[in-house]
Amino acid sequence: MAGRTIVVTSGKGGVGKTTTVANLGTTLAKKKNSVVLIDTDIGLRNLDVVMGLENRIVYNLVDIIEGKCRKEQAMIRDRKLSNLCMIPAAQTREKNSITEEQMKELCSNLAEEFDYVIIDCPAGIEQGFKNAIAGADTALVVTTPEVSAIRDADRVIGLLEAALVRNINLIINRLNARMVKKGDMMSTEDIIALLSVPLLGVVPESEDVVVSTNRGVPLVHDRSSKAGAAFRGMAGRLDGESIPLDGDAGGLLGRMKRLIWN
Amino acid sequence: MSSAMAPIQIKADRAGFLLIPDPEASFEAVMAFLEERLEQSHDFFHNTEMVLDLRKSPMGSDEISALCTRLHQKSMVRIVEVRLGEEVSFAVAGAPERKRVAPEAGRRHEESAPVIVRNTCRSGVRVVSASDCVVLGDVNPGAEIIAGGDVIVYGTLRGVAHAGVGGDQSARIWALSFEPNQIRIAELVAVPPRGCKPGRGRFEIAEIRNGVIQVVSL
Repeated sequence: MAGRTIVVTSGKGGVGKTTTVANLGTTLAKKKNSVVLIDTDIGLRNLDVVMGLENRIVYNLVDIIEGKCRKEQAMIRDRKLSNLCMIPAAQTREKNSITEEQMKELCSNLAEEFDYVIIDCPAGIEQGFKNAIAGADTALVVTTPEVSAIRDADRVIGLLEAALVRNINLIINRLNARMVKKGDMMSTEDIIALLSVPLLGVVPESEDVVVSTNRGVPLVHDRSSKAGAAFRGMAGRLDGESIPLDGDAGGLLGRMKRLIWN
Repeated sequence: MSSAMAPIQIKADRAGFLLIPDPEASFEAVMAFLEERLEQSHDFFHNTEMVLDLRKSPMGSDEISALCTRLHQKSMVRIVEVRLGEEVSFAVAGAPERKRVAPEAGRRHEESAPVIVRNTCRSGVRVVSASDCVVLGDVNPGAEIIAGGDVIVYGTLRGVAHAGVGGDQSARIWALSFEPNQIRIAELVAVPPRGCKPGRGRFEIAEIRNGVIQVVSL
């Protein structure tokens, strides 16, 4: 059976697409799935940095598509998990060096071999976005509780619907519960009322994210992190487990559940 | 030959000459008749501007361009506008901008069917309707609904709505909940007062009263 191809997108830059890809990919791989991550942000690649695999890059996505290497040669295996690998983007090329058709073919080939193909989409809605969503059957739209990010997410959801992507789920990143309580930040309910797509999970604002990005080790390896727990919850839901959304809050029950999973 | 039987009528109105082809006549007959008329009238039509009215008898784009070229060669006649439907017309490239005659105020757009949108209008969507426009869903920030008649939203209006685009001051905007960025009726623009919380669950209507846009609930 063919695996799932999931694109992680947002419209606005800097809302946490790459972090989400790295963490969901790592968690799904920890759950004994075979996972490949594709960075399609050609010219501005950074999934390799977040995964800590920057110094191992020889071939990249454009090389595979132009036939300069086999796709196995461009896949870089993760340092900890042997069933997780990534295809880096080319840093010295441009977004229009690949086409939607080529991307679609690559995704369907990879879905034959892997359980999950997770695509990191570039910011914006131009050619890079079109390439990234071309081969995907599921889209995860990442937004932060800011009006500008939500506006862009709304636009992107409209474009995904127009491109006939069937499953669209929302991830709210960097939610600060204290600010929501004071009424200084949009709440989860407000965002869902506006965007009207199913919620996959909420990631609380956390300093751990910056630390893990700089170290090049995905957050989910750190068991004490609340943000990491949120990503684990989302990955579980993607994998078909029924985990209540508020289990991410880090309550006693949530912590016990986490102990049981890992 | 009476003018009613002619394959193409040439009428004069305030805006200039109007060409109205007969739906029954073939394109060849139209062309032949026009050439004959231009020949007979010597320099009467020389260097004039004409409007081609195709509301009753559609023509192909190649036929339109053939007609334009022929008229121009024959006596420097310029086709400045082609009318296709009640609200649809396009200016011919290269023609100077002409002032449109604004439709009479208060005219209702009952002759054409309303545009119905059956889903939420997300950011970046632009819906244009010659008559009324009905949205069965929300209008999110960044979306635009533009209608010649009324705008009716069965949901929350958060984007931009423009009713009565042609200058119809009696047009109204209806929504279950009003939280718009901006609303426009005819040539008036209004923004909601800051910090104004809308009442949910009942229709609210924006209309022009005493020369300003007012929002009232039913």
